[in-house]
Amino acid sequence: MSQITTEKYKDEAKRAIKNPVLQDALSNLQERLGKGAVEAYKNLPEGHRLRIEAHDIRMNAIENLDVLLKSLAENVRRNGGHVYFAEDALSAVSHCLEIARKHNVKTAVKGKSMLTEEIGLNRSLEAAGIEVVETDLGEYIVQLAGEHPSHIIAPAIHKTRKEIGKLFSEKLLIHYTDDPPALTRAARKALRDKFLAADMGISGCNLACAETGHITTVSNEGNIRMSTTLPKVHVAFMGMERVVAGLNDYDVLFRLLPRAAAAQNMATYISYIGGPCHKDQVDGPEEFHLIIIDNGRTKILADEEFREILCCIRCAACLNVCPVYRKIGGHSYGYPYCGPVGSVVTPLLVGINRAKDLCLGEMLCGACKEVCPVNIDIPKMLLGLRAKLADGDRKWNVTRASLVEKALYKTWSWLIRNRWTYDLFLRLAYFSQKFLPQKGGMIRRLPPPLHGWTGKRDILPISIETFKQRAKRINLNP
Amino acid sequence: MNFSDQNRFINNVRKALGRSPGHKSSLQEIFSIKTVDESRELYEKIKTRTSTQRQKLLSRLINESKTVNLNVICLKNATSVSTSIAGLVREKEPEWGSRKSLTAWEHPLIEKLKLTEVLADRNVPVFCSKLRNNKEAVRDRNTEKMQIRKHVIDSYIGVTSADFCIADTATLVMKTRPGQGRLVSIVPSIHIAVIELKQILGNLKELFILLQHDPKEKSEGLTNCMTFISGPSKTADIEATLVHGAHGPREVYLYVITGR
Amino acid sequence: MITKYSTTQSRKAGFTRPSKKLNLMHNKNVTLFIQCLIDCLYPDVGEAVVHIFQKLGLTIIYPPDQTCCGQPAFNSGYKKEAKVAAKRFIRIFENADSIVCPSGSCVNMVRNHYPQLFRNDRKWFRRALSLSKKIFELTEYLVDILGVEDIGAGYHGKITYHDSCHLLYGIGISNQPRKLIRSVKGVQFIEMKDSDRCCGFGGAFSIKYPEISTAILEEKVKNIIDSGADAVVGCDIGCLMNIHGMLSRKGSPIKVMHIARLLAG
Repeated sequence: MSQITTEKYKDEAKRAIKNPVLQDALSNLQERLGKGAVEAYKNLPEGHRLRIEAHDIRMNAIENLDVLLKSLAENVRRNGGHVYFAEDALSAVSHCLEIARKHNVKTAVKGKSMLTEEIGLNRSLEAAGIEVVETDLGEYIVQLAGEHPSHIIAPAIHKTRKEIGKLFSEKLLIHYTDDPPALTRAARKALRDKFLAADMGISGCNLACAETGHITTVSNEGNIRMSTTLPKVHVAFMGMERVVAGLNDYDVLFRLLPRAAAAQNMATYISYIGGPCHKDQVDGPEEFHLIIIDNGRTKILADEEFREILCCIRCAACLNVCPVYRKIGGHSYGYPYCGPVGSVVTPLLVGINRAKDLCLGEMLCGACKEVCPVNIDIPKMLLGLRAKLADGDRKWNVTRASLVEKALYKTWSWLIRNRWTYDLFLRLAYFSQKFLPQKGGMIRRLPPPLHGWTGKRDILPISIETFKQRAKRINLNP
Repeated sequence: MNFSDQNRFINNVRKALGRSPGHKSSLQEIFSIKTVDESRELYEKIKTRTSTQRQKLLSRLINESKTVNLNVICLKNATSVSTSIAGLVREKEPEWGSRKSLTAWEHPLIEKLKLTEVLADRNVPVFCSKLRNNKEAVRDRNTEKMQIRKHVIDSYIGVTSADFCIADTATLVMKTRPGQGRLVSIVPSIHIAVIELKQILGNLKELFILLQHDPKEKSEGLTNCMTFISGPSKTADIEATLVHGAHGPREVYLYVITGR
Repeated sequence: MITKYSTTQSRKAGFTRPSKKLNLMHNKNVTLFIQCLIDCLYPDVGEAVVHIFQKLGLTIIYPPDQTCCGQPAFNSGYKKEAKVAAKRFIRIFENADSIVCPSGSCVNMVRNHYPQLFRNDRKWFRRALSLSKKIFELTEYLVDILGVEDIGAGYHGKITYHDSCHLLYGIGISNQPRKLIRSVKGVQFIEMKDSDRCCGFGGAFSIKYPEISTAILEEKVKNIIDSGADAVVGCDIGCLMNIHGMLSRKGSPIKVMHIARLLAG
């Protein structure tokens, strides 16, 4: 399993906010990709309507997962591939280890896959003495630095060119440069040797096709094509929800995905891979293995309130527009899935109490839903999670997050039940605020638990007269 | 193969979906979104394109190719294409090592280029990603594959054709067949693709219509690897700066033989 | 008890006489929902709303029993408590012809979340649904329902506009307020950078996660200052209170104004 540090959300967020370099990188990312995605949708003839269609396609797949997975497995096997079904991270990893042992694998090259982060694949392979090389440039940088990705598609967005230059000069023994093309060339050279020497190629799966028995991989760099063509064994990892019914579905999804992810009309490389190379073909892996993983997903599937999140195609568009992600970066979320989608997926996978700050520490502004290529209502699901934290939930094994808060809202619900008690409360508040420090007609400091407000903000005191009273006053017949 | 894992897994999924024990559903029933008639109509439209319509698609392709940094060169016939390729070979230097060599697909269109002859006087070898079919070769297929692999790795230019090219996104679509290796379009530093005007399609939808309705495409299937390529390899992983040539080709040239 | 304003009453109360060309809507009734923050912190905004409708010659109904729509509880996950408020709101307002509220997030709550809140309760769901169809946000009501873009207001200065999230993404309002602002005499309208990015308010979020909230707000405030405007206008008092709070702390002279106050001017 991947390391879970969701409890440190607040501290990590504070740290990220204080890091000016990261702040610049995050703004830059959102200016380019977030705004770019919105622009890219505009050149779709169907406009935003296409996102609704994509949602239907994905929902249709999710609601027929049993049939699709069975067909997918049958078709992959018919094409000569092997299929494994793994209920949890451990069993997924052990399938891969077994394949590696059988082929005496020494080096594995990997294409970007969030799922393998989720199941902690690298650590397990390394423990078995296998060298695992991340080949996506961003992932490679993060791996060399001994860190974790901070963005779903731009993993090294938190690092500056200077830091990368320093890292490369130490690890790749090149002369220091902070020129992105020169750094890219250095990685290209180092990784080419790895590609050529690797015995195993590991990839994720974007959206498998049940009808034909192919997985799909999407990349701009070409690393996934290298990883899945050069080594003699290809192992693909797929979350069980990442499948669609048939070829018809890809037109819509593959027009949206690159727009959402990178403001492109099309990714540089998309491959439909369905099985090993045939004996009369000149290249391609001799074996193809597909590992389909549950790891907590059936539980999400079983709950209609959250089922929709399984439509996600991991494009990261929601990260690129989220005002919270823009400030706190990916590491604060404490799990491979970050940003708005992470705030829903992570609690559902690791435990809602454990990841409560992810559900509460977002704003429900709705920018994520607006940009989502499959139109997932992320705010609605955040509200659903908050409801579980508010009152506890047996099905999800959630205990009430705060008794005090519950009592507060309970009291509030009494106060607002009657205008008379409500007014009385306002009167009380009006008189007690006189004890608070004020300046220029604004309150400078509020007492706990409201003091968070006045750290960097003032607040207007409660008015001597409510609107209700004014309404009465200006009415001649009170 | 462990089917008990599969059965247990899929049973869990069924339970999560709240399926009744007897619930049966076939894949065909799930394809309900698109109407067949519409697809048929579009299929006929694709199949009966006039040359003027094709020219229009070509202009769209040329326009879109700029966005992805794909070099599109339109020439009348195979001879002019091979002359142009010879020019590229003269002009471009290898990225790894100093020796120039090419690897090309076994493909009727590529054979017409007679690259071996055209490049012979420059002493640039042209390898073909093709397995010999005599008995000895079959016995020692692995050695032969290793040799082709080495040629591709050593080549600084890979020459392929493609099944289709999608104008809307400047995307080459290629299936995998004997003699038409996957590595040729990804490992060499420069990728050259040669197609004919009639191979250009309008958009992604047309491709999927063809794959499903064209008898030839349908019977062949997607093959074990169908790849879309839209321009050269690129990355923006360092401070979101766009750099071409991350792992795959740094440059891609698409020759369209227009026939006039 | 229902308090009614009529134009005659208001003249006595010191409100200006509505201009003749706009005085075409005598027969329309409008029921006011004055959001709780306006009620207790910014009552001027409520008064401005009254002023606008009187200018337009509408009959205003203000049910004085109203308190809160339940949004604070709902957004924090306290659905039971939110339901208490929602049921109360429905009882008070369900007989109105049209309800107008000078707050996008409250309208979003009533229009979009009430039906959801009662999705398992047939009777209340029906009542929530029928209510959801007759509540309007102020600028939406003016522009889309009444077809009024120029209320004959005047303001001398440069104004920028902040798009509140629930107003924009929740109920899809972005042109209406801009049209209204542009038609105010003497206004020079300036779009700030990223007017549609959240201000960092987020209700309880602003108190529970103040560092994140104010980090987001800092950028909003910077964009407001950089716009060169001397006033920022919005349609949601929550966001405005947030922005006002930081501008005040920074000692900025930039005015924060609810759109109702601009339009009543």
